[in-house]
Amino acid sequence: MHHSDLIAAVRRAAAPIALTLALASATASAEPSSDASTPAPADPSTPTSDPPDAPQLDALEHRIDALEKELAALRSAATRTPGPQPEPTPKRTPEPTPEPAKVGAPKPLPGKPTVTGAAAGDSLENRTPDYADGFHFGSYGRVVAGGDHRGRAARDADIVARGSRLDESNYAELELRREDYWKETGAYTRIVATMAFGSPIFHYNGQFAAKLGLRNLYIEESGLGLRNLKVWAGSRMYRGDDIYLLDFWPLDNLNTVGGGLTYEFIPNLVLRLHSGINQPDNAFFVQDVSRPRPLGQIGAATVRVTDRQKSISSAKLSHIFKVGASGGIKPSLYGEFHYVPSAQRERETSQYENLPDDVGFTVGTQLGMFTGKRSSHLNLVFRYSGGLAAYGEFNAPTRLSPQRDSKGARELLFAASGNYEVGPFGVLLGAYLRSFRNASAGLDVDDLDEGIVVARPTVWFGKIAGLSLEGSYQAQRRGVLIPQSNGGLKPQFGQVGRLGLVPFLTPAGRGNYARPHLRLLYVLTMRDAGAQRLYTSDDVFAIRKVDHFIGLGAEWWFGSTSYFRD
Amino acid sequence: MTHVITAPRKRTVLSTALWLATGAAMAGCMDFGDIEQPLQLETHVDDWRNEIIYQVLVDRFSNGDPSNDHGVRFDDLARYQGGDWRGLRDRLDYLDQLGVTTLWISPVVRNVETDANVDGYHGYWAQDLRDTNPHFGTISELRELVDDAHSRGMKIVVDIVTNHVGQAFYYDLNLNGVPDINIQGSGTPESPTLHYTEYDPDFDPRGVQAFTSLGEAGPAPAVFQYDPATGHLPPSPDPLGDPAAYNRKGRTFNFDDPDQLVHGDFPGGLKDLDTSRCDVKQMMVDVFVEWVEQTDIDGFRIDTVKHVEYEFWRFFTQQVRARLAERGKNNFLMFGEVFDGRDALLGAYTRHDIYGPADLAGFLGQPAAADPSDEEQLAAESACVQGGEALRGDQLDSLFYFSQHFAAIREVYQQGQSTDRIEQLWANRAVNWGDTPNQDGVGVAPRDLPINFIDNHDVPRFLYELRKRPASESQALLHNAILFTFAAQGVPCLYYGTEQGLAGGNDPANRERLWDGGYDVTHPTFGWIQRLARIRGEYASLRRGAVNVVWSSDHVGDEPDAGIFAFERIGGDAGGSYAVVVINSHQTHDSTTRTPDRAMEVSAPAGTEMIDVLSRGDLRVIVGDDGTLDVTVEPMQGVLLVPAAEYNDGI
Repeated sequence: MHHSDLIAAVRRAAAPIALTLALASATASAEPSSDASTPAPADPSTPTSDPPDAPQLDALEHRIDALEKELAALRSAATRTPGPQPEPTPKRTPEPTPEPAKVGAPKPLPGKPTVTGAAAGDSLENRTPDYADGFHFGSYGRVVAGGDHRGRAARDADIVARGSRLDESNYAELELRREDYWKETGAYTRIVATMAFGSPIFHYNGQFAAKLGLRNLYIEESGLGLRNLKVWAGSRMYRGDDIYLLDFWPLDNLNTVGGGLTYEFIPNLVLRLHSGINQPDNAFFVQDVSRPRPLGQIGAATVRVTDRQKSISSAKLSHIFKVGASGGIKPSLYGEFHYVPSAQRERETSQYENLPDDVGFTVGTQLGMFTGKRSSHLNLVFRYSGGLAAYGEFNAPTRLSPQRDSKGARELLFAASGNYEVGPFGVLLGAYLRSFRNASAGLDVDDLDEGIVVARPTVWFGKIAGLSLEGSYQAQRRGVLIPQSNGGLKPQFGQVGRLGLVPFLTPAGRGNYARPHLRLLYVLTMRDAGAQRLYTSDDVFAIRKVDHFIGLGAEWWFGSTSYFRD
Repeated sequence: MTHVITAPRKRTVLSTALWLATGAAMAGCMDFGDIEQPLQLETHVDDWRNEIIYQVLVDRFSNGDPSNDHGVRFDDLARYQGGDWRGLRDRLDYLDQLGVTTLWISPVVRNVETDANVDGYHGYWAQDLRDTNPHFGTISELRELVDDAHSRGMKIVVDIVTNHVGQAFYYDLNLNGVPDINIQGSGTPESPTLHYTEYDPDFDPRGVQAFTSLGEAGPAPAVFQYDPATGHLPPSPDPLGDPAAYNRKGRTFNFDDPDQLVHGDFPGGLKDLDTSRCDVKQMMVDVFVEWVEQTDIDGFRIDTVKHVEYEFWRFFTQQVRARLAERGKNNFLMFGEVFDGRDALLGAYTRHDIYGPADLAGFLGQPAAADPSDEEQLAAESACVQGGEALRGDQLDSLFYFSQHFAAIREVYQQGQSTDRIEQLWANRAVNWGDTPNQDGVGVAPRDLPINFIDNHDVPRFLYELRKRPASESQALLHNAILFTFAAQGVPCLYYGTEQGLAGGNDPANRERLWDGGYDVTHPTFGWIQRLARIRGEYASLRRGAVNVVWSSDHVGDEPDAGIFAFERIGGDAGGSYAVVVINSHQTHDSTTRTPDRAMEVSAPAGTEMIDVLSRGDLRVIVGDDGTLDVTVEPMQGVLLVPAAEYNDGI
């Protein structure tokens, strides 16, 4: 059996339970993850039929495991002869379920007669098996209609950088993608363009305007020259596993214009290298001044005095160790290097000062553990950043050192996420502890320690509905002192406790990573005086100790590269 | 290749994860030092006469933290320049090396950010008396500065303002609800031109009056501005957000009118507080005691003293001393600024007499009705005291010696006028200034503790007026003036940048960025101050001795003693230490302490060998059998004579 046929057989067998048996997880967030240990969502387009009982599910799951092992063996035999037979791969993130059958191959482009699309039965060794060529569409989105108990607009009530996502605002990504196989070279091409829309949206304010960002615009080539090599270039959000509950990528999350490569030395041992640039719109990077126009012309022209870009390079090495029949452990090592060249800026008219070059680095590691069943997993992340990197890849450093660079800034992060599902029950977990110090010597309001722990247990009612309860505790300490009544001083320390209740409909069936969801939202937020102090006077959050958020919303994801892992 | 992990490796992974988590938690601790706890106040000063004060305009001294350089404009000295407490802390070595022992820093409270294209960098435009000025740092950074200074034996005095706040409100003169700066009228006799500003209208003893086309319309509403971006917000804390807490009489233009002086807004729209109100008095005590409790600072320099009622100073100083004494803080210095050349006016703020409005009018040469009796006055004032002792006559510990600045520094050491005015000035001080130490105060009578200065942020620098003179002459004159302030009775006080020869003119030109000069410790004036500081530290007579003028002259021409001013530092609390200071302010010829009809009599026994410290012993003179001492001094120079028995040739 050709393995594409094998896959088709698997899919047919699994179709009735495709959603609830999502083989691995995927994150469901603003831009879900693409790495192995976080499961990807099932394709909601797959129809479902009568629900199987538990023994049926187990039997089907075992069957899928066995078929995937067979698939891996066949794939290996086809692509690695002669050579050692790889062991069966651990259950990886599921490939997207088949798109509707393609109709014919793409037409060759004018002037490029050798280019043709892959027809059914073409070799698919270096790509997601069974993935159709041609144009594709994928999306992540969330929309919420809601507000507080007095009718004010919905608003994020977290005090930490990454908090509960139950009250996040509207956001959507629309991904257009082109997939091609080139017979002449045996390479595969993927062109990705992802548009992202932020809140507000038209039906909220009636404005024909959009907060629009192009989150992806790149080409990736697979198997061009080297079978296990992928190269890409363009503009890309480049990231690993997330903590779904916090909408947070704790280890790696880069947004640059650049390129990179992925090489799989042996099965499941993957090296990813990337380098790119960006230039945040900030005086640290750019300064425009006005000058008279040349050659006797009237008027002023803008001259860019400071014009420097941040270059970021990253490397990630991951390996999956199989544990048992379907589980595994995936350790990852990660590093970043950031660099900004020296420059000048104008202090006063025609008086300049030098800005030194600046560097930063990140080292990190992740330990992922997964059972391979029902998206159960646990990820532990440690990350340390210094200098420029402590501020994040897309931020300009603030509160600089006396030398006007970011030397001395640091960020320390420990994060954990997990999921466990059994029967009609499941629980998602997320937590992190973060310490940030900017480059200025003393403590100030931007220096902080913060952390959050959040858990979302869920019970499903049959296959179409469920109820989630989310509880979280978050606290943050800032580098400023608050006078006390006894004449002493105490660090600013705020705490927030949140409790959410989310009944939902889930046409995709059970599973914490099954989407779409139609849901009702209620979130109780309690903040102490320290948390209230973080807000400006007359802000309702500065006035209220308790808030109630009530909403109706939807969330979905399907078919975009954010869920792919190849 | 796929590996199956074994149990022992699982344990290793788990332990590594726990180790990393623990490390992360520990590394994340914020180090506030010991300042999170209520501070144990301590007395860091034995005798303020041992100190040498250095006035720091924080925004201009050193920029140690560019992260707080909000809105810095390097091309305009009227705007923020970036100096901060971190920078000052980083430069304590420089100040230590200079020899100063007490730092008087500009106000620390949050100010109106900017007004009429001038920033509140100086600190005298308070907006929130309980918050730090974010341009200078956080409360923890201020604490770190104080702690670092104390660890070196240095003290910190903070500048405070109780008379006024910043440009907080406008007077809605035309009742149109917006602030106006208007020119009205066509300039004809029937329609005279009227130019007025609702931010800073002229003083009106009735209170600023509104008007309509029909004429006056009663008191003009005081409307607080609300512009967070520029810091124009109702001042804080209560009752500063209440218009009733202000006198609302408009801008002072006649400083000899006691009503205007005390109740008028300070020019520039700085709104004058009604400091006779009990709630205002108590709030001032509370907030400024809190600053001490939170930072352990050692004293206050108090701004615009003469613009505030005597009764306020009695309440404020006595309540502050009592509150700090309860917390273990004694010897807390409170010296004030009375920007005036009339010594009696200055001294009145240090005396225990129960002065009132009529006394102030008298000092200003104005008629006034008699004040109530002292008993009635104190009883009325004591009604503001919450459960404490009845008020007494105690006021400030000392004053910025402005009368000396005019009479001695400017007229004698800068302009070369006769030195007898200094003798007269000092004699007046003995009469005008308080002769009794304040209860719980610094233990020294105010008249023995004047704060001697050459220049400051409100007057042109000493060298500015000499800018057309050769550098060697202007420097010699400056060094002579510094010698005078270091040798005179009291506490010398240097304005930052004097040691670098800064020569800026009037505000803001006299508020230069010190870092532009690179903190040159080889500058001749730096070396001169450094040496004088050592000398002052070595000889107790120069610090704590009483003063006895032994020579002054009304001569300014070719006379042999023209320019000579000589005084002994003797007795007092100096033990047996003794010194004779002879300074020649004449700018062209040598002068001497002997004339055909007069010789300089000194207290040292006949036959005492006196050695000049400044020339390192090159000049040695013997007290004559008649108790006189003959000294000749080159123009613009001085000698500092101590008995041979006291002489230390190592300085």
